[in-house]
Amino acid sequence: MKRSLTGLIIPILLCVAWEGAVRFGIAPGRLMPPPSELLRTAISLIRSGDLQTHVAATMSRVGIGFGVGALAGTLVGMLTGGSPVTRRLLDPSIQALRAIPSIAWVPIFILWLGIFELSKLALIALGVFFPVYLGTLSAIEDVDRKLIEVGRVFGLSRAGIMLRITWPAVLPIWIAALRSGLGLGFMFVVAAELMGASEGLGYLLVYGQQMGQADVILVAMIVFALLGKLSDAVLVGVTAPLLRWQDTVRARL
Amino acid sequence: MTTLAIEGLGKTYADGTEALRGMHLFAHSGEIVALLGGSGCGKTTLLRLAAGLDQPSAGTIAINGREAEGTHPAISAVFQEPRLLPWLSVAHNIGFGGRRVANGERQRRIEDLLQRIGLEGYGGRWPKDLSGGQQQRVAIARALIGHPGILLLDEPFSALDAFTRASLHELVLTLWQDLRPTILIVTHDVDEAVFLADRVVVMRPRPGRVHETMTIALPRPRNKLAAEYDITRRNVLRAIDRSLAEDRVAAAGGGAVSPWV
Repeated sequence: MKRSLTGLIIPILLCVAWEGAVRFGIAPGRLMPPPSELLRTAISLIRSGDLQTHVAATMSRVGIGFGVGALAGTLVGMLTGGSPVTRRLLDPSIQALRAIPSIAWVPIFILWLGIFELSKLALIALGVFFPVYLGTLSAIEDVDRKLIEVGRVFGLSRAGIMLRITWPAVLPIWIAALRSGLGLGFMFVVAAELMGASEGLGYLLVYGQQMGQADVILVAMIVFALLGKLSDAVLVGVTAPLLRWQDTVRARL
Repeated sequence: MTTLAIEGLGKTYADGTEALRGMHLFAHSGEIVALLGGSGCGKTTLLRLAAGLDQPSAGTIAINGREAEGTHPAISAVFQEPRLLPWLSVAHNIGFGGRRVANGERQRRIEDLLQRIGLEGYGGRWPKDLSGGQQQRVAIARALIGHPGILLLDEPFSALDAFTRASLHELVLTLWQDLRPTILIVTHDVDEAVFLADRVVVMRPRPGRVHETMTIALPRPRNKLAAEYDITRRNVLRAIDRSLAEDRVAAAGGGAVSPWV
């Protein structure tokens, strides 16, 4: 608890300095709206219901894109990691696709899927897919052979080894991969919404820029940060019981 | 009542290393056989073959007279490292070895074994919270909960300090007296072999093969300070000396040396 409070010192000092600088006319308030004005903007956006609409739009995109990307990444990772044959067959192609910067898919997704929801979801899912795929694959490859031998000596079948040894051994790295996938999901939802949307926090960014409202942009940025942190915390909280046996993962949080 | 018959067993790895050649060994039911030798003697290779973890290149392994391939329900093992599953509690780790035992009975045996390995009340802990010696005790309990006919021990005490090792020797002997599994233990520790085994098989390296088999006729419980114990120990040391001398002759190109002494 004490440590988390220590972390607040610098942000609070910055807020106070910022507020003071604007009040005393040292900094231009229009381009650098002070915390008090950001708060007012946020409250009015909430009162009008706009912020909720944008948050809902962004979160549903992240949710669907993350769900699809994480599921696909996990399944393909399991398939690829399952045997040396599938690995040699699939991994080189996937690595080649990974070499394409994900944003470079935007034009072709728009051509293929239209400029509305589907192309956005595809971009987010693609961004989430690669870290989850890589995490799943490397986790499966890193499973201690010695523990698998324990399973064999005590008579587990192939499926039994998969379920009772590989799966629990893979969990910590897989969850870490989900977390980095979720982070990328938020990154790509911004890209997706910047490329043309009528709602969403990314749209709010563009809107603020076009209207010259720095306060709207900053509020959207702060809400992005809060949502990202919150989703990560939810993911960590939901998966924590699965990792109770491991100190190191908890220490890394 | 389980016997282990190893006949003409050989193993050459894919890289061409011949780890084991023409190994013959018969372990009587309830007997403790120690395989003694330095590194490169194929001791661990032999144990891995017996456990069904590797395929032999030649020869057969028979359990109770029936040829076995792959892992076998009668065979259980303790490895050099504890190899506990870190995501299972101590009690569940022990239970993992007794998957074929009915639920209630398994629970009873877990409690019983926890007490016998001196870890009563530790059932709910994680393996990482135990010391190395305690973890190896859990591994021994896991290997015995299914009442295996044959217990393979692959230098299970080599990483432990002398005090812990001595207490684990006692533990293994007590459990062995109750359950009477046939035990095959691989070790490079002469004392360990003499203290535990009914028979000591001295092995020679490159390729791994039997040099000499000696019967340890000392009564149990054995007294490490007794004069007979010392004599037996010296006899084993002499056998090791002879095997080293033959290795030197072989290395000097001194003609064919029979692997069958």
